[in-house]
Order: sequence, then structure tokens, then C-alpha cells
Amino acid sequence: MRLGPQAGELIDRDAPLAFFWNGRPWQGLAGDTIASALAAGGVRVFSRSFKYHRPRGLLTADFHDPGCTVQVGDEPNVRGAHRRVEAGMRVGAQNAWPSLAVDLRAATGFAGRFLTAGFYYKTFIKPRRLWPMYERVLERFAAGGSLAAGESVSSTAPGGWYYDKRYAHPDVLVAGGGPAGMAAALAAARTGAQVMLVEEEHELGGHLRWGGAAELTALAELRALVAAAPGIEVLTDAVVTGRYDDNWVAVCQRGLAHVTERLIKARAGVLVVAPGLIERPYVFEGNDLPGVMLGTAVRRLVNLYAVKPGQRAVVLTANEQGDAAAADLERAGVEVVRVVDARRGEGIRRAVGRGGVHAVELADGSRAACDLLVTSTGWTAPTSLLNMAGDRPVYAPEAGRFLPGDGLPPTVLATGGIAGDGTLDELVAHGEAVGALAAARGLAAGPLQVGGQAAPATVPALPTRPHPALFRASTHGFVDLCEDVTSSDIVAAAAEGYDSIELVKRFTTVTMGPTQGKLETVNAAAVLAEAVGQPLQALGTTVWRPPYAPISLGALAGRIFEPVRRSPMQPWHEAHGAVPLVAGQWIRPDHYGDPAAEVHNVRRNVGLIDVTPLGKLDLRGPDVPELLNLLYVNRFGNLGVGRVRYGVMCAEDGVVLDDGVTGRLGERHWLMTTTSSGAAAVWEHVEHWLQTEHPEWRVHVTAVTTAYASINVAGPASRELLSRLVDGVDLAPEAFPYMHVRTGMVAGVAGCFMWRIGFTGELSYELHVPAAYGLHVWESLMAAGADLGVAPFGVEAQRIMRLEKGHFIVGQDTDALTKAFGAGLDWAVKLDKPDFVGKPELAWAKQQPNGALVLVGLQPVEPAVVPDEASQIVDQVDGRRIVGRVTSSRMSPTLGRSICLGFVAPDRSAPGTVVTVRLPDGRHVQATVMAHHAHVDPEGVRLRG
Amino acid sequence: MPTSTRKGCAFVADPDPGRGAAGQVLARSPIAPAPPVAVVDGWEVSARRAGGPLRLVDCTPLAKVLVRARTGGVVAALLGVGHGRAARDGHGTLVVGSGPTEWLLLAPPGDAEAVAARVQAAADGDDDLVSVVSLVTHGRALMRLTGAAAPRLLAKVCAIDLGDRPATAGRGEATPDGTAFRSSVARLATDVIRDDLDGERSYLLHCERSSGQYLWDCLLDAGAELGVEPDGFTAANSLGDHRTERSSGIP
Repeated sequence: MRLGPQAGELIDRDAPLAFFWNGRPWQGLAGDTIASALAAGGVRVFSRSFKYHRPRGLLTADFHDPGCTVQVGDEPNVRGAHRRVEAGMRVGAQNAWPSLAVDLRAATGFAGRFLTAGFYYKTFIKPRRLWPMYERVLERFAAGGSLAAGESVSSTAPGGWYYDKRYAHPDVLVAGGGPAGMAAALAAARTGAQVMLVEEEHELGGHLRWGGAAELTALAELRALVAAAPGIEVLTDAVVTGRYDDNWVAVCQRGLAHVTERLIKARAGVLVVAPGLIERPYVFEGNDLPGVMLGTAVRRLVNLYAVKPGQRAVVLTANEQGDAAAADLERAGVEVVRVVDARRGEGIRRAVGRGGVHAVELADGSRAACDLLVTSTGWTAPTSLLNMAGDRPVYAPEAGRFLPGDGLPPTVLATGGIAGDGTLDELVAHGEAVGALAAARGLAAGPLQVGGQAAPATVPALPTRPHPALFRASTHGFVDLCEDVTSSDIVAAAAEGYDSIELVKRFTTVTMGPTQGKLETVNAAAVLAEAVGQPLQALGTTVWRPPYAPISLGALAGRIFEPVRRSPMQPWHEAHGAVPLVAGQWIRPDHYGDPAAEVHNVRRNVGLIDVTPLGKLDLRGPDVPELLNLLYVNRFGNLGVGRVRYGVMCAEDGVVLDDGVTGRLGERHWLMTTTSSGAAAVWEHVEHWLQTEHPEWRVHVTAVTTAYASINVAGPASRELLSRLVDGVDLAPEAFPYMHVRTGMVAGVAGCFMWRIGFTGELSYELHVPAAYGLHVWESLMAAGADLGVAPFGVEAQRIMRLEKGHFIVGQDTDALTKAFGAGLDWAVKLDKPDFVGKPELAWAKQQPNGALVLVGLQPVEPAVVPDEASQIVDQVDGRRIVGRVTSSRMSPTLGRSICLGFVAPDRSAPGTVVTVRLPDGRHVQATVMAHHAHVDPEGVRLRG
Repeated sequence: MPTSTRKGCAFVADPDPGRGAAGQVLARSPIAPAPPVAVVDGWEVSARRAGGPLRLVDCTPLAKVLVRARTGGVVAALLGVGHGRAARDGHGTLVVGSGPTEWLLLAPPGDAEAVAARVQAAADGDDDLVSVVSLVTHGRALMRLTGAAAPRLLAKVCAIDLGDRPATAGRGEATPDGTAFRSSVARLATDVIRDDLDGERSYLLHCERSSGQYLWDCLLDAGAELGVEPDGFTAANSLGDHRTERSSGIP
């Protein structure tokens, strides 16, 4: 029921909003939360509990309320007592089937005795073959909302599932926008510090918002000052979710129009923790019945949302907030039948009712009929951020709560209710002192300090007032309403030997729900302390870890930055139907529709392939030959200008690291190429040896992988094609032999170089063109070669052709154990060089014949059988003994039969040996070891033409 | 606001008369130009004129020359800019100290050879090893973000403190005008130079060429809420020095 206007109400009575609750139309007002709009309309049951499916109502009516988690459109697990109502919203209850009123899963309540905490450690285990069935059943009973299957194109979630992140560097970050937090922010900003003020609720003010006239006046003044202060950035509907080393602070911000959630990563000079206090529930039988709520919940409902929480109330109070809640109820026309004052030793025993409270039994034996039971029995200090900063808060028995210890670093300060009790003026004064200190320390923390002064180390301490230590009545009740853990569960756990708070937490799951202990931890510790006969301070609480409040995976992921690399010719490939291959960060054309046809065209006419991802390093200086001799197993010092050589790099253990072609462009100018996937690693390798082992060598290395667009022109007509476009280079075979490099003009572009190499086994030229002209040159080649039958070919066709020629690919046909000799590189390894990386290991390997596998060419006996790559090669007799594997395998369009490369044990590597290949489906096929790696033109006649 | 300018086959299928004549050698950026498209100094560029307060310009056509030389040598003295700083020399070239023994020189399109020759002339006759690599013109994608909200945009993709502090505070700015640094921007290794233009906050960003479109798209996405717009390439909004104005028809 809606009350008359309240002085501090947040609702706008002139702005009604229509929305839906469980499919039925409902009315709310702008400023309402989902819970307040529903409560105003008389709703008392908002959800069903996690395990026992008990009906639940409002407990705290704020961000932390465990009884009001709802589904909104396609967004699950929304905090209904915090999320504001919007027009058209579709709100549904969670965890209730078929409906909130009649939840058949409440049958678990009957089985309660057998479903005590930790029941799943003892049940649903055997027989194992029933696990799939157990899973399906347990899934139905699992709590939580639902996500739409597949990607929602248009979502009702605010911001439409767009998550992003932001970095910030405030001098002072204040966590908590109550009176102390606002005062601290103002004082800090006055000295010129940049302040970020983070508040969980939709507006600043904390407990002032539901206070009396004096509080509301103070609230208005503080808000106006904050709004006027330059240098304070206010974030509302935002939570500080964690404090990490050196004040690396995470803030999760909602309420932005275009973003669902934003994760702010802030490096704060000083962190001021001002979270206030969280009211603690009381443990007694029936304490989870709808209609049982906290004093602050009543004050919020009445003062902020003008909602009448019930008709007849019993109030259990131990402090001023409880007294004020009783006064608010009377003002709202609620009949307050009994005020039970714990300060005078009065108490309650249990709440009675089904589906809602209808009576309360008091400790003195009397009974009062009511539909609302309000408890204000104490406060919990939310010390999470202090704990994360390394502090160990101390329990103060006379105050009935934890207080900050003395373990905070100088860059973390606490103010407000968490630091002590006091009048509003005292809290504000404390906040101001802390804010000024924070600014002084925050500004001094930077490296560009100007005239730094010593920051005052003292802030007047806040007193602490005594408070009765109330945790549990004489009966047992719920300690954790999120997880449905009762105090008797905790006592039972202690009886089973779980006598530490950390063990009890994990065994019973107490404090592990969405509230993360804010409403449960101290009660749990108190119940356990009683059960094991130790004082609360000896037991302590569980470790507070980030996140402080649940955070979406989307917020942690943000925009999902995955760098993509594209060649200058990529638009042409896309326009011509290339099927993309994702190779690391590169997008490359795998083929243009028919790889076999591409192979035929290259071997008959001429083809173009875009090989821009090929790693390229520009090397300059007098000592480059020394460097190449050191890093390659081959000899490079004697390479003349204009010559090109294939080189292999090994690591210090002799294992093949990378291969590529290196050419000498000038007296002191070389160009090294590497594999595409190895480009970055080889660059690091080169710089590592230069900078750490030979800083005296004069070499400059510049990565030019993407500065050149690289095009391989391959096929019998490649020379003819180039002759139509190349200027300044004599292409005649005697003038430009195999394994040479020339520089000149291609299609009017100066500064190109080309070398004759042959990955595909055909006459071919690899052009390297300044990248901005890559597309122009490619298009020119395509146009000039139309009558020659020029066509593009992709990575797949190139893979086939290189396999036909027996060229191994590092990382595919070698692995982390393949040393140079195992890959058949005896000819390349020059052991007579004075030194090179890997020499000692390779020299030793040459002397000691070991059982290392040998890379060989293979052809399956059945020409149509193409074994899967990585198929194992097994012993003829004992099919379970592995003696090798297939590393590369394709159907060869040129030969019309399957061809492979693979590793076999040395005793089976003689040409002609028949080996057994075990396919992934278990079938065995035979394959013959070939004399060469190359299957087509093993002598290389076509290449050197 | 679209968050990419990429349009698949825009280069090939677009019959825009603003393009060069058939067969003309045309240089292209890795970043697809926002229409309308024009040809300036042999480069295909965007001719869009953005009017808003936050603008992103593809400056890839600028000449970029990488110089490697030891600190304390003749070339280092000629360039006169230390690691982490950037400044214009007497010719209007922006000299960036991009690494301890590395400088990047930015000049108008087509000036790479002239700039390289100037540095090489200083190096000749000296014993030190000096490398002048003008190929880097092609190896980097370069873009400029200008506008008061530029630091707010970059704060979404880069962890470096780009903020201002009021003069009363004891701590100065971490990245004042003329700062050059290399960091991660949207998970990409990127060089960032603060180079305010005509009193407006401005940053040059460059990365290895093949990721240029990716970086551009990330900046447009991050700036969508701030109203960022692509702006066409001109002498004024790329390098900003009036001496670099050409007479080939740039407004």
C-alpha cells in the first residue's frame, strides 16, 4: 500500500510506469525499485529460496536483499530491491516452478532432514552410471535465472549486453557516498586532488536519505557542495569490487545508458574506505518468513518509497535505528503492537506462520499476532576492502562488531561508521580530516611532487558506543538466506569435526551466496563459537576476497580486444571469394573455391599467392655475417651480394627453431625471412643474442614484416609474367639464377626486391613490395597475366605443393624434440664452423646414434587413402607400440594419389619399408617409406629452370 | 555511429571518380577510408570533413623514417630529442624519441627520401653505425586523435595516465605535451605521442601496419559515446605545420 508524501521520497508521483510481474500488468512510479513497486501493490512473496524453495519476502530492501532476486527480460539474477523500474519491463520470479505461489520444488522442504548442509557430499554419488540422470534432476532444482540461448541481437538489458572498461588515476578514491564519504571527498578536492567518489546506491547520502528533518537538510547541503566541487567525479550505482596491490582498485559501474556494465581499473593515490555499516539479521525460528525484515528495511520502504510494509507490527530493537523504525511505522499508520527492547533484556523466541508471519512468540512466553516483525539487533562492519589492504579488523565485544585494526598501509584510510560511532557532525568532521590527509598523501605519492610537505599523521579518533551482542535467540533459524543454511546446520558441522570458520564455510556453504557474508558472517562465527565453546574473537571470520559484490563475466571480459592482422591485398581476396584461414592473428586466404585446381594452374601456368605474413627482418651493419653464422646452422659469412641462402636456426639444445631464406641486398644490408608464425619469436631471438651476448657487434635489426607486401609468383609462365612488369632487372636465367636476389621496379613501384626461391617446386619469384603499393602490384599482375592463365592460389594449395616437394614446415613436421639431424638437415649443419647456437648439442648427437625419430616421405599403399595428420605409426606385430607418426598428409592433385611426411624409428626408415598407420577410427593402413622427402620432381629440375 | 570504416571490397569495386586513372600507381593505407575518397600525393585518402569536437584522422600517408644510432653520437645530437620526447626540428619534421637508440621522423607524404638524406649526410664521415630506414613509411599505420575528450577516449583502451591536474595541486601531469611512449592500446603494442595542435589536445598513435584497421576500429568503438568521427587527411590535421602545406589542392 502506498503512503502519503514523505519528505525524502525518491518516487515521482507524477510519473507512473507500467511493467509486468510474472506476466501480469503492474503499475509503479519513476524512482521505484522493482521491489518497492511490487510491495506498494501488496506483494509479500518475491522469490523461492535456493535449496528448500521456501517463500521469501524483503529482508533489507536494498542492494543486498537476498529475497528479491528476479529475472528481467533476458537478464537473470537482477537485484530487485536495487534495480529501478522502467516502462515495459518484464519481471519474473526465479527458482519457482510452475509459479511463485505454488512451487512444486518446495517438496525439498519435506526432505529437509535429509538435505542438510553438505548432503551432496554423501548422496547422488553411486552408482556412477546414474550421474547423467542426477545432473538433469539437480539442474532443474538449481537456483538462478535463465539466459537466452545464442546471441541476443536486441536485449532488454540496459546497454544491450555492451560491456567496456576504463582506466582511471584519481589522487583519492572514496568508496562510499554517505556523509563521511562525501565530507572526505570535499576536503580532498579542496586541496586540488582529483577525487573519484563511488556509491553503491543510485544517489549519494547513505543513511541520511531515510533520516529525519535534520538528516535531510544535511544531505541536501552535502550534495550541493559535492555537485559544485570541480575535481570530484561521482559514480552512482557503482561498487568498488576489490582493492589489489598498490591501490589497484576495481569499480563496477552500472546505470550508464549505453553500457550494461563498465569495469573501471583505477590506480588510486589513496583509498578512503567509507562503507558505513550493514544491519545484521537476527537468528531465530521463522526468521525467513515473508514479513520478517530489518529496521533499516522498514525505514527505506516508508521514507524512500512511501510503502506501508504491513498492518500490525512487532519491533525488536537494540539501538536508535530500531527505535526510529518503530516511530516511522507509527507515523505510517501501522499498528505497533509490541516494542521488544533488547537493551532491557527483552527478547523474542520465534516467528510463526506459513507463507508469511502471522504471530510472534516472545521470550517471556507471551504471543503477539502480527503480519510484520522488525528486528534491529546490531551492525556488521563491511571490512572487506580493509582486509584486502592487509588489515586484520579486531572484534570489539562491547560494541558487538569488528573495527579496523592497525594494519592498514599509509595509502588506505577508513572513515564513517566503520571507524566508530558519533553524531552526524562528528562523522562529518572525521570524514573531512581523513579527506585532507588522503589528499596530502595522494598528491605526494606522485613522482613529480612539488614542494612536498609531511602529511599529518593524526586524525581524531571516533568513539565507539556500547551495543548488546545479539546473534541468535534461544531457537534455531536461518543464518544464510541465500544458501538456505541454518544455525543447526552449523552446529551439526561442528559436531562432525568442522570446527574452524573456514571449514564450516566450505562444508555448509554459509556466506558463499550473492551477499558474500555481509549478512551472515558474524552470525555464523557467533553460532560456531557457541558450538565449540570459544569466544568469537578467537574464531575470527573467513577471508574477504574480491569481488565484494557479484560481477558479470561480461564486465570482466569488456570489449574482447583481439588484434587482427590483414595484408594489403585482403580486400581483393574477399572480393574474389577467398575462404578465410585464421592463422594466429592473421587472416589469410585458404583457397578461392578449388585448391586442387589452384595446384594444377600453378604447375601448368602461373599463380599468385599472398605471403605477406612471412617474417622479415632488415639487418644492417658490418657484423651481420657474424650474427648469421652464430644463429644459423649453415654458413652465411661467405654469401655474396645478390645471393640468397636457405637457413635453419636451432636452439641451444639443437632443436629446430625456425627456418627461412636470407639474402644479401648490399655490402652491409641483408634481409632475413622467417616462418609467419615464428616471426616475433625469431626477432626476439636475434635481439636477445645481440643485446645480451654480443653487444659489441654493430648490427641494427628492424622488423619489416608488414612494411613489405610479399607475393609469390609461381609456375612455368612466371618469368614471362614478370617480364611484362619488371623494370631494371634482367630476368634471363643466366643473369638471374636460382637463389639470387635483385632489386628493381615492379608495375611502376620503386624499391621492390625479388628473389628466386622455390617453396612450391616450380619456377618462382618472391616479390617484396613496399606495402602501400601491394594491392596495386597484385592487381597489375592479375591484369598483365590474364592471357597466361594467371590465377590466385591460397595457403591450402601452397601446403599441397610444398608437400609434393617434400619441404617440411617447422612446428608441423618438427616438434620440440626434433633436432636438426632428425629432420634430415645433415647437409645444412656445418659443424666445422667455430661456433653457432646448438653446435655442442648437435656435435654430440652426430657422434651418438640415438633412437631419435627420422623424418621421411611416406606414401600409403592405397593411393586413395589420405591418413589424418597426427595419425600414429605403430609396430606391425604389437599394434599398441608407437614407432612414429604422420605429420603432414594430403591428396596430391599432381600425382593423383596421397602423399605424406612423417616420423619413423630409425630401424624402419630405410626406403621401401612398409609401416602401419593407425587412423583415428582405429583402422590400420599400410604406407611405404620413400627414398626422398619430395614426391614430385625430386631432382628439382623445374625449379632451377 | 558506425564503428568501422571497413567495407570488404570497397577498394576494388568502388567506381568513385575521385580515384586515380587506370594503371596509376596508387598507395593505400591499411585503414579503409571513410567516404568520400580522394587521391592526395599518390595516396588514396578520405576526403571527409568532420565538424565535431573529437576527430580521428588516418595519417598513414605521412613519411616515416626510422633512425637507429647510439645516444651521444653525431646523429643523436643532430636530432636533439631524447627518449620519450617529441619535437619539431627546423624543417617541420616531427622528431620522436621512440626508443633509447631509436628515433622516428614524421614528415609530409613523399618527403621520406629527403629526410633520410639529411640524416645520412650527418652520419657520413662518422664511424658510428647509423641505420636510416625509410621503408618504415610503409611499415606503420599512423592515426591522429584530436579533441578535448581525447584523453577520455584513450582511457578506455590504454592504462597510461593521460589526465590533467589543476595548477594548485602538487603533482604535475604524467604525460604533458611532447611526451612519447610505447604501451598497450586495445591489447596492441602501440606508440603514442602527445602532440597538441593549435591548442587542442591531440595524440598520434602508430602501430605495425597490418593491425591498423583493428586499432582504428577500436578507437572508433571506444569513442562512440563521445561522438568521435573520422576526418579526412590534410596537411593541417595530420602534421599541422603550415610549412608543410602543398599546392596540390588540399583545402
